[in-house]
Amino acid sequence: MRVWLGLVLALLLGLAVAACAGALWASPADIWRALSGDPSMASRLLVEWRLPRVLAAALVGALLGLGGTIYQGVFRNPLAEPYLLGSAGGAAVGATVALLVPLALPQSLLLPVLAFAGAWGATMLVLGIARVAGAVDAAGLLLAGVAVAAILGALRSFLMLALSDETVSLQVVMSWVLGGIQTPSWRGIALLAAIALGCLGLSLLFARRLDLLGLGETMATAFGLDTRRVVAEAVLAGSVIVAAAVAFGGLVAFVGLAAPHIARWLVGPLHKPLLPASALVGAIVVTLADAIARAALPPAEIPLGLVTAIAGGPFFILLLARRLRT
Amino acid sequence: MSSLAAESLTVKRERATLIDGVSLSLGPSGSVAVIGPNGAGKSTLLRTLAGVDTPTSGCVRLDGQDLAGLASAERAQSIGFLPQTFEPHWDLSVADLLELGAARATALPADAVAKAKRTFELLGLEARRWSTLSGGERARVLLATVLVVDPPVLIADEPSAALDIRHRLETIRTLAARGSERLSVVVVHDLDLAFRFFERVVLLVAGKVVADAPAHDLIHDPCLDEAFGVRFERLKLDGRWLLRADS
Repeated sequence: MRVWLGLVLALLLGLAVAACAGALWASPADIWRALSGDPSMASRLLVEWRLPRVLAAALVGALLGLGGTIYQGVFRNPLAEPYLLGSAGGAAVGATVALLVPLALPQSLLLPVLAFAGAWGATMLVLGIARVAGAVDAAGLLLAGVAVAAILGALRSFLMLALSDETVSLQVVMSWVLGGIQTPSWRGIALLAAIALGCLGLSLLFARRLDLLGLGETMATAFGLDTRRVVAEAVLAGSVIVAAAVAFGGLVAFVGLAAPHIARWLVGPLHKPLLPASALVGAIVVTLADAIARAALPPAEIPLGLVTAIAGGPFFILLLARRLRT
Repeated sequence: MSSLAAESLTVKRERATLIDGVSLSLGPSGSVAVIGPNGAGKSTLLRTLAGVDTPTSGCVRLDGQDLAGLASAERAQSIGFLPQTFEPHWDLSVADLLELGAARATALPADAVAKAKRTFELLGLEARRWSTLSGGERARVLLATVLVVDPPVLIADEPSAALDIRHRLETIRTLAARGSERLSVVVVHDLDLAFRFFERVVLLVAGKVVADAPAHDLIHDPCLDEAFGVRFERLKLDGRWLLRADS
């Protein structure tokens, strides 16, 4: 119970700090004034731009935490990440098309839809390859995922080179590929919050089955689990969650890796507490990382993906080293 | 009480025949030791009997019903399977493992988990993580996790191989003792333990059942010597027969 209270308090504190942080720092009193309906320009900027952005960062972080936990549960590997299965790479290709190809539909609709189509398509491709190769186990999937991710990365670069001209700026795609929370309207925030809650519910449906999967193929089967089916279904659920995160936050590296780790230290490895805890940790991490992205080098903004990669890369290496030593 | 039957069970993997037309009728109660030289197919036979592996042809019937057609949740509740090696991917606590084991049952007596903890001497160990447990503690935790739902059939694949002699004796004794009321099928490496504690012994060689007899009869059968490729000296000590191998 104390852990949960601590996590919620840490999130509230993180949100408060992030609300103050920016190219122009605001004091907590400024935030309070803005929230209580002050009509000044500074207050309106805070309410219409900064606060939605802060909340969006937290929600994207929660989605990344959930997605990462599912992927680690499926691969039974604490080093697994949504990006390793090609789902983030697929989402990126879909989003690149949405950003660069002039299609009849509005971009705000096209981007999440194509991102999901890309994530799902890439995941199905990975599953298909692993199945044809006769290795639908964790290692086979992981290797197929690495190969597909590499191909998709090349495809995305090619699309960027081939489709850009004077009318569409690569800058938009680049800033998105490097990860950056879009600033949504308050209606957008409501939608994102609903999606995040839905994803939490979806992932909790898998909690017990992911626990059993963690006992190993043999014990999981002996305990009545259809491991193949659970792997396929959980990967699908994971790619829905990753697509949602990618649609709203671009490619943000390492949060999906780090959040479940930190959460596991706090609440243990059973997935029923682990999933919500990972969502909270992810929310805290991305809220703070996004605050750094906005405030570190004013007036410029550092892409969020760079902040998380610089912080998360060493974390990954540390974990890898510890794992290799034991 | 449940009975288990293998009907012309054949398991092939990559062209190799691991189990070759095995038929066995087991239970509804009794302790059965499965013995045989390395590579005889003991583990494969047990995994197939437990429904963890599917046979290439033939079938396993639980109370007359083909395992392949049985809902996996129902199978998990009726057949407890103790694997040869168990290494969870996450560092679960003893309480976590017992919870996962207990979740197999649709309805469980309220005191089932507490009873399993008492039986396997796990009181006070609940919060300990798997990585911190000794070999003997791990064996007891695994037994408790599998047996917390008290399945009518227990299939154990040599879970005591890595244990010291005292824990090994304890584990084998526990497994064999279940045979008085339920069905307990165990791969046993130590022949003396197999003949001493189990009522019935099945000798498996090259995927085939070579002998299947009460323990006190089979111990004198010369097919044992042939199966293991040694000459056994049968020694009588305190009214009990022991085997001493000679090449």
